[in-house]
Amino acid sequence: MRAGTNDRVKRQLLRDAITDNLDTMRGVLPRPRAAAPSENAWMRRLPLVLIPVTLLGSSYLVSEPPVVRTQAPIRAFFAARRASLADSFEPVKAAAFPLAIRRVVLDAGHGGKDAGAESSSNLVEKNITLDIERRLRDLLQKNGFEVIVTRADDRLIPLRERARLANESDADIFVSIHVNSLQSHTSSHGIETYYLGPTKDPRLTQLAAEENGMSGYSMADMRKLLDRVYAGVRRDESQRLAAAVQQQLFTNLRTIDPGVENWGVKRAPFVVLVATNMPAILAEVGCLSNEREAAMLREPQYRQQIASALYRGIAEYAKQGT
Amino acid sequence: MTEILHVGIDLGTSRSAISASNGERFVVDSFVGWPADMVAKKILKRNVLIGHDAVTNRTMLDLHRPLERGLLKEGSEKDVQAVRELLQHLLGLVGVKNGKAGNVRAVVGVPAAALRTNKQYLRNSMKGIVDSLMIVSEPFAVAYGLNALLHTMIIDIGAGTTDFCVMKGRYPTEEDQRTLTIAGDSIDQHLLKLIEDRYPQANVTIFMVREWKEKFSFVGQPAPRAVVMAPVKGVPTELDITNEMKAACETILPPVIETMLDLLSRVEPEFQERVRNNIILSGGGGLIKNLPGALEEALKQVGGGKVTFMEDPVFVGSDGGLALALDAPDSDWERLSA
Repeated sequence: MRAGTNDRVKRQLLRDAITDNLDTMRGVLPRPRAAAPSENAWMRRLPLVLIPVTLLGSSYLVSEPPVVRTQAPIRAFFAARRASLADSFEPVKAAAFPLAIRRVVLDAGHGGKDAGAESSSNLVEKNITLDIERRLRDLLQKNGFEVIVTRADDRLIPLRERARLANESDADIFVSIHVNSLQSHTSSHGIETYYLGPTKDPRLTQLAAEENGMSGYSMADMRKLLDRVYAGVRRDESQRLAAAVQQQLFTNLRTIDPGVENWGVKRAPFVVLVATNMPAILAEVGCLSNEREAAMLREPQYRQQIASALYRGIAEYAKQGT
Repeated sequence: MTEILHVGIDLGTSRSAISASNGERFVVDSFVGWPADMVAKKILKRNVLIGHDAVTNRTMLDLHRPLERGLLKEGSEKDVQAVRELLQHLLGLVGVKNGKAGNVRAVVGVPAAALRTNKQYLRNSMKGIVDSLMIVSEPFAVAYGLNALLHTMIIDIGAGTTDFCVMKGRYPTEEDQRTLTIAGDSIDQHLLKLIEDRYPQANVTIFMVREWKEKFSFVGQPAPRAVVMAPVKGVPTELDITNEMKAACETILPPVIETMLDLLSRVEPEFQERVRNNIILSGGGGLIKNLPGALEEALKQVGGGKVTFMEDPVFVGSDGGLALALDAPDSDWERLSA
């Protein structure tokens, strides 16, 4: 290239590099380029929010009809239950389970500067999930399971890192713990458990998009991961695990809170479910937007009951394999 | 008048290099460590160790390698702190001490496939360290520094990523660039596994493996013998790892060749031959013996080509960044305040 042409090209390259940097500083999305068409061009033009890819699938609910009961004063109830909580739990040894279920990864949702949902009384999701994770970890370890946690304290762990930790640990199952918040329906509260899969439900699409934000995966990476999602065996096992956990959560928690609703087992493309290599679920164990439930979640005994229910669900799933 | 210092920084997963307009150039290992406890602090007599110092004293440190696959690890405050320490250390090496060098304008290279969010995160992490900052793709910086702006392909093999960039006389688009996560680190992991499989009693760490790779790496033929010393049950023992070294290094060949040929196939037909004959290999991975020959062998299936290896792969990225920094007008630097 001639010197004059070279200088001209360099000046243009510099201008483009600076424009790219200014756009980044302003938060402007990358401009679509009029590049030569290629067989993969349609993949590169997918919108930044990957969730629409998953709208090709179908979603369904597995749930029992909602049950509405009268509500009892919270503190009085716990005062009565305090003595009996320790007796209500029947330990099951891991040695009784098939060799397939030995190592469990627990994932306390959110952490660090990502606080998650917050109640009107300033109770934050990240603290609740961590507390329940610790309780569940203790229960599992007490019964011979090996437990790996994605976070052991209050720090932000990117979703991609959580999945990487789980995959590297060669675990048998992955359980992610979250707490819901429905600002548009603060009077209701319920439990739901997700396993990996596509959904057409716009609420779930929005929820997954919010949870998957800043996951650290590029579009190309997510495309490859989603291609693997629909491998039947892992999805089937995840569904069984989700059903077992949901059943135990609802059955146990409604004895304490008769007003809790069973929102069932659902499918959604949460990154932590998509990117992990083992059967994986995400349990929304309560609802912070509901004042009554937020008050219950503040009580250690209630969180212990949630952990116990999660344990029973995992144990039930493991027994099903025998 | 405040003196302006222009710098180009190649922030690498394993090594980071800086080239400055005052003629200084340095490279450091991308490790940062803080004394693990008061005893360590007393022994080390420092609050933070960086680079080779951090690696050699790692048993006493909370050691961090803040970059993964060429990008700053997100969500870890400690890694943000580590990259700031690393950058301040690099700038200190070229004469920037507590801002006394005046105005610092930096160009930093990142992997070709870095997202806007990754770049913004890096930008935020560098606030207050430099006065103005430009972030560009690393292979683009290499091409700019070499004046390889038209009908060339840069293949930059680092520790965390292998970056490709086809230069067409314009700012490279997404279609012109690729990033693979198969690079030096993946070779290290393979090599470690192969050595452990062959010599299960040997006590070998990833740091040792990395050193051996840098000394003995090769693909194809001829095969230089790779014999190393490692403790086996506590006794220093000679281990022949020639076959393992070859096997580990050759793991990068299929993905690199496939990506190279794929990018070539997307070049306009009338320019393909020119690009094929102007492939430039840079980065530490370019030091793998026989690699240019192996790539040229693969190019024979599409009509042949020429792969040139940079003699100074360590600084070719930071030199390119420095060239960008010097050429950018003052008015644009003012808009790029960090």
